[in-house]
This record gives sequence, C-alpha cells and structure tokens, in this order.
Amino acid sequence: MRFMVIIKSNEESEAGVGPSAELLAEMGKFNEELVKAGVLLAGEGLTPSSQGARVVFSGSEEPKVVDGPFAETKELVGGFWILQCRDRDECVEWIKRMPNPDGTPGVVEIRRVAEASDFENMTPEVEELEGRLRAQGAGEA
Amino acid sequence: MRFLVMVKATPESEAGAGPSLEELETMSKFNEELLNEGRIVLAEGLTSSAEGVRVLFDGDAEPKLIDGPFAETKELVAGVWVLNGESLEDVVALMKRAPNPDARGGVIEIRPISE
Repeated sequence: MRFMVIIKSNEESEAGVGPSAELLAEMGKFNEELVKAGVLLAGEGLTPSSQGARVVFSGSEEPKVVDGPFAETKELVGGFWILQCRDRDECVEWIKRMPNPDGTPGVVEIRRVAEASDFENMTPEVEELEGRLRAQGAGEA
Repeated sequence: MRFLVMVKATPESEAGAGPSLEELETMSKFNEELLNEGRIVLAEGLTSSAEGVRVLFDGDAEPKLIDGPFAETKELVAGVWVLNGESLEDVVALMKRAPNPDARGGVIEIRPISE
C-alpha cells in the first residue's frame, strides 16, 4: 500500500525560515533509512504559501485565481512523502520516529493513496494511462 | 521548476464516492494531455480521510494519534500532481483547464517545490 504523508505548515515554514542545520542533518539520515528500507517513493518540501496560488472553480464561471499567502497556516501543506508500507500501522511507526530535534509541535497527516482497484468505474484504457503515469514518476525519482 | 498541485476535498470525495465513468475518462484525458506535454512527475488520488490518521507531535511527549475522518473538508487534500512548469503563472494557466465535472466547483492549490 502507498501512503501520502503530509507535513502541515507552521509559523516558521510559512515565514520562509528554513530548517536548522541539525534538523536538516537528521532529516537526511531519516530519508536515507527510508530509502534503505525500500519505503521512500517520493518526498519534497514546499516553499511558503506566499509563493503559491489557488484556482477556484465555481459553477460554470471562468475560474478565479487567488494569490497566496493563505491564512489557515495549520491546515496548509509544508511538505510530503509518498511511502510504500505494508499497512497504515507500519507507516505510523515510521512517522513517529521522524526527526524533531527542536521538539517543535506539529501535525503530520497520513492518507492512503488510491489504487486502480479502488475505482469501481476503472476502464482498461484509464488503467493503462495510470500505469504510464506511474512509470513517469519512477523515471524521475 | 516543479510544483505540488493539490485538489482540495469536497463532500463527494470525502464520502468516498468514486468518480463516475465520465469523470474518470475526462480526468484521464486531461492527464494524458499533461503527460504528452511532459508536465507530469507524479499524479495520485487519495482515499477519503476516513482511512487516514494524524500524528501529533508536542514537545518530547510520545506522539498522539488521531484517526480520520477529519472535519475541515475544504482544507483536506483529495489528490495531487507534481508538475513541471516555467513559472507559477504557467501552472495556473494549465490548471484553469482542469476538468470541473458538472460545474460542481472546487479549489486547486498550486505550491512551488523547494529545490
């Protein structure tokens, strides 16, 4: 099973304060462990929401564009991993061990990634495209 | 530059109602366009937050677990792309073309990835 692990933003990440040298070093080690265990599929950090935008669709009107920053800091995404784990519990065990050298309070959300078998309306054509999308991701990693 | 593009959840996605055949095919066609333009690094849909869990860190205490579903539907993520783009404006223009089935509306958030 694959899981998307979403690290929520905090005031520091939204202010564009980068990780401390200690956190960066520990995170590097942790990522290396994830790779060695064959768990890590993807992982990225985001810039503050002040550099982002939202596209808002409302009915059949032309979509509106709203520039960041966005107010609800604790609901924003600061970074993510996609992990391959046996089950959700294994994913939780990994995340409980993620480095937090400064004891910063924070929230990490773990969500299962949908697989072809989750879609009752899946067609062979769509499934074939899904396969190509996945191969694309693997090529980039 | 690379961007994380997040499709926010809706009551329908949170209810676990999968896409209709028509929605699936429309989204698939859009993905194929993105793929042919060399835009897609990854594209994934998430299951509803009812299957999710949050890990809460607070100081040195053992992290706490909170099982989904989570209440603030509009802030939740329902699916993501990682896309290649020239600039934020470039990806915004691309996403304005995203399917909006039955004109139900919705929010897509676009955030640059740190390099």
